[in-house]
Amino acid sequence: MLARAAENLYWMARYLERAENTARLITSTTDVLLDLPSGATLGWETLIKAVGLDKTFGKSYTQANEQSIMRFMIDDERNPSSMLSCVKYARENTRTLRELLPEELWERINSLYLFLRERAQLATSNRRERYVVLNDVIAQRHAIVGLISGVMAHDLAYQFIRLGRNIERADMTTRILDINFAVSIPQDMPLYEVSVERLWMSTLKALSAYQTYRRRQAVHVSSADVVDFLINDACFPRSLMYCLNEIESCLRALPFSGTVMSAAQPAKNALQYIKGSELNAIQLHELLDVLQKDLGEINAALATQYFHAYLNPEQPASESVQ
Amino acid sequence: MEIAQSEYGAITAYDELLNAQLQPRSAAQPLFDYLNSLTAEELLARRQAVEATIMAMGITFTIYSEAGNIDRAWPFDVIPRVMSRFEWDPIQQGLKQRLTALNLFINDLYNEQHIIKDGVFPREVLEGSVNFRRQCVGVSPRYGVWAHVCGTDLVRDRDGTVYVLEDNLRVPSGVSYMLENRQIMKRIFPEVFQTTSILPVDDYPTQLYHTLAALSPRTDEQPVIVVLTPGIYNSAYFEHSYLAQQMGAYLVEGQDLLVGKDDIVYMKNIFGLQRVDVIYRRIDDNFLDPEAFSPDSVLGVPGLMRAWRKGNVGIANAPGAGVADDKVVYAFVPQIIKYYLDQDPILANVPSYLCMYPDQCEHVLKNLDSLVVKPANESGGYGMMIGPRASAAERAKFADLIRANPRNYMAQPTLDISTAPTLADNKLAPRHLDLRPFVLQSDQVYVTTGGLTRVALRKGSLVVNSSQGGGSKDTWIVEEMPSC
Repeated sequence: MLARAAENLYWMARYLERAENTARLITSTTDVLLDLPSGATLGWETLIKAVGLDKTFGKSYTQANEQSIMRFMIDDERNPSSMLSCVKYARENTRTLRELLPEELWERINSLYLFLRERAQLATSNRRERYVVLNDVIAQRHAIVGLISGVMAHDLAYQFIRLGRNIERADMTTRILDINFAVSIPQDMPLYEVSVERLWMSTLKALSAYQTYRRRQAVHVSSADVVDFLINDACFPRSLMYCLNEIESCLRALPFSGTVMSAAQPAKNALQYIKGSELNAIQLHELLDVLQKDLGEINAALATQYFHAYLNPEQPASESVQ
Repeated sequence: MEIAQSEYGAITAYDELLNAQLQPRSAAQPLFDYLNSLTAEELLARRQAVEATIMAMGITFTIYSEAGNIDRAWPFDVIPRVMSRFEWDPIQQGLKQRLTALNLFINDLYNEQHIIKDGVFPREVLEGSVNFRRQCVGVSPRYGVWAHVCGTDLVRDRDGTVYVLEDNLRVPSGVSYMLENRQIMKRIFPEVFQTTSILPVDDYPTQLYHTLAALSPRTDEQPVIVVLTPGIYNSAYFEHSYLAQQMGAYLVEGQDLLVGKDDIVYMKNIFGLQRVDVIYRRIDDNFLDPEAFSPDSVLGVPGLMRAWRKGNVGIANAPGAGVADDKVVYAFVPQIIKYYLDQDPILANVPSYLCMYPDQCEHVLKNLDSLVVKPANESGGYGMMIGPRASAAERAKFADLIRANPRNYMAQPTLDISTAPTLADNKLAPRHLDLRPFVLQSDQVYVTTGGLTRVALRKGSLVVNSSQGGGSKDTWIVEEMPSC
C-alpha cells in the first residue's frame, strides 16, 4: 500500500471525526447556553482554548462571542479545524483515494460537503437551523462510517481509517471534557448543584453518552463520575479507554507495529491516574493536556513507521508482506 | 420535445440524428420514439435528475485559470449522439489502421529512419519537431509500440464525410467522461436501453489494464501498475483517479516513486519500497524525469528514463511518442499509412496546407479569411484561428505569426462540422460536435465502442473543449434491426 495513500486515509478519517465531534461540541455548548442560569457566564475564550484554537481564532477575530465563535467553528475556512474545512479536506483526501475506497463513499462525502457548504452559514447565526444542520452532519457522518465498516474490505487501508478515527475521537473527547472549564457558575448562587449537574449532563449528551452513563453509573451526574466514565469505561465507544483499545487492535492487525504499540503505552498508563481518584479542576485539565500530548506521540510514531517507511533502510521488502 | 425549426433552417451542417427534412435517421428512430413518449416536463425533470447525479457523483473537471476553485461539474447534454454500427465498423477499422501505422512511424523515427531515407517524410519536419526527444533515440519498446493510448478526434463535414481532425498521442484525456456519461444515462433513462440495442462501452478499463499489463518487464509475476498523475490540481485528475480505481491500479504522484541504484522504479509504500512494473503516465514528457528533461520539474521522477531505457519499467505512452502528435506530421499520415502498411487510408484526412512550404504558405496567407490556422503543437483548442470568424486584426496577427515561424503553422479549409439535437431553452437545437474514440495498442489493438462526443453548447460555437465552454453527450453505437 502506498505510504501517501495510508497517510491520506488516516487524515481523511481524522477530519471526518473532527467534523462530527465539533458538531457535538457546538450542540452541547448551545444547549448549555440555553440552560445557563442568570448570573452564570460562558467564557468563550476558555472554550476556544480548550479546543486548542485560540491562536488561530485571534488572528481573524477580536471578540469572542457566540456569533464569532460559531462562525469560526462552523464555516470559517481560515480555521483549518472548522467543520467546513474538515469536511473539505476529507473530501479532497477522498478524491486522492477513490481507487481505494468504495465508490459510494465518495458520493457520500461529496454530498456531505455540498450540504454543509450550502447550509453552514445559516447555522452560524440561527440556533434552530444550527441544531438541524449539526444533527444532519452527525447523521451523514454515521452513514459514512457505516459504509466503511459494512462495504469496505477490512484490509490495511481499513486499519488506517480506524486508527485515524480513534486517535481523533480520543483527542476530541479530552477536549470536550475540558470545555466545562469555560463555564463559571458562582458557588453561592441558588441551585448551584443542579446547574453543575446539568452542565455535565450536557457533556454526556454531546457525546451521546447520557443513556449508557445512566445505565452504568450512579443516579446523580457528578463531575468525577462523568470524567471517570468518559475516560475509563471499557465499553462506551467514545471513552478514552475504548479508543485506545481500538488503536491497539488496529496495530495488532498491522505488520511491524511494535514501535507504534510502545508509543501508545504512555496514554494507557495515564488513564490509570484518573481511575477512582478525585481530581480537582486544575489537575483534570493538566491530565487532559498530558493525554493530548501522548496521543500526539502515537501520531508521530505512525508517521515514522508507515508514512515515511521508505526512509528506513532496515525495513523489509514489502512484497513478502503483501 | 419540439425541434428548433428556425435554428435548423439557418444552418447548412449535417445533423447526426436528423435528415434534411428534420426526420430522425433510422439509427435514431427508437430514441425519438422514446423522446416523443415523454412530455416536455418529464424530459426537463430527467435533465434535472442528471444534473443532480453529476453533482452527487462529483464528476468534475478543472479550469486552469480559476485558481482556488478546484473543480466544476461536467456539462452534459441528455440527448445522446447515435450512430449505426454499419457506419461505425469501418471507422473502427480506420482507427486501428491509423494507430498501427503511426506506431511503426514513431519506432522508425527513433531507430533506422527508413521513411526519411526513402524520401517519404522530410527530414526538416523532424528537425523542426518540438516533440522529438533525443533522449529516446535507439530505444525500441516492446512490440515496437510507443503510443499505447491514442485519442483521435473525428468530425463530419456537410456532405457526411468523416474526417480525422487530429491524433492525440501524448496524454489524451476524456475516456472517463465517456464511461461516466453512459452510467448517468443508464441511471436516468433506463427504459430506452431496453428498447434499443446500444452497444456497451464499459470494457475499456479491462482493455486498458490488459494493454498496460502486456508492457510489464516481469512476465512471471502479476505486474504492479501505477497511474502517474501530476496531482489533484490537474484538470484531468478526476480521470486519473477514476481509471486507477477502475483498473485496481495504484494512483501515484512523482513524489511517491523513486529509481534505485539498480535502475529499477520503486514506490514508497507503508512497509518500505515496492517494485513498479508499468507506469501509465498522465504527465507530459518534459516533466517526467528532471535528470533527462526539465531539471526544475517537481512532478516527475529522477532516473525514470534510465530505468525505461534499460527495459526495467514499461511506460505508456512511451516518452517521445508525441513526435507524431503534431499538426504538420498529421498532414503526412496518408503517406505514412501507405508507406508502412501498403494500404490506402480508410479514414480521410482534412486537406492541409503546410506553411513550411513556400507555395502552400502563400496560399494560406492569401486565404486567411476562409481557412482555419493551427499551431503545430498546441492542444485543447488553444492558439488557433478560425478565419471566417476572426477579425481583420486577428488575421493580421496570425499572418505575422506565420511569417515569423512557418514550420509551426498549418491551415485547413473550414469544415462545416456536423450538429446533433441538443436540449437548449426547452427545444432540441442544433449544436456542433466532434467525436473522440480512444484506441489502445500493445500486443493487440482495441478501439472503444464509439467514444467521447464533445459538443459546443453555445449556439453557433465550434469549440468543443471543456476548458472553453464545451460539454459532452453519451455516444450510442446501435445495432440496427433488419427491417422485415
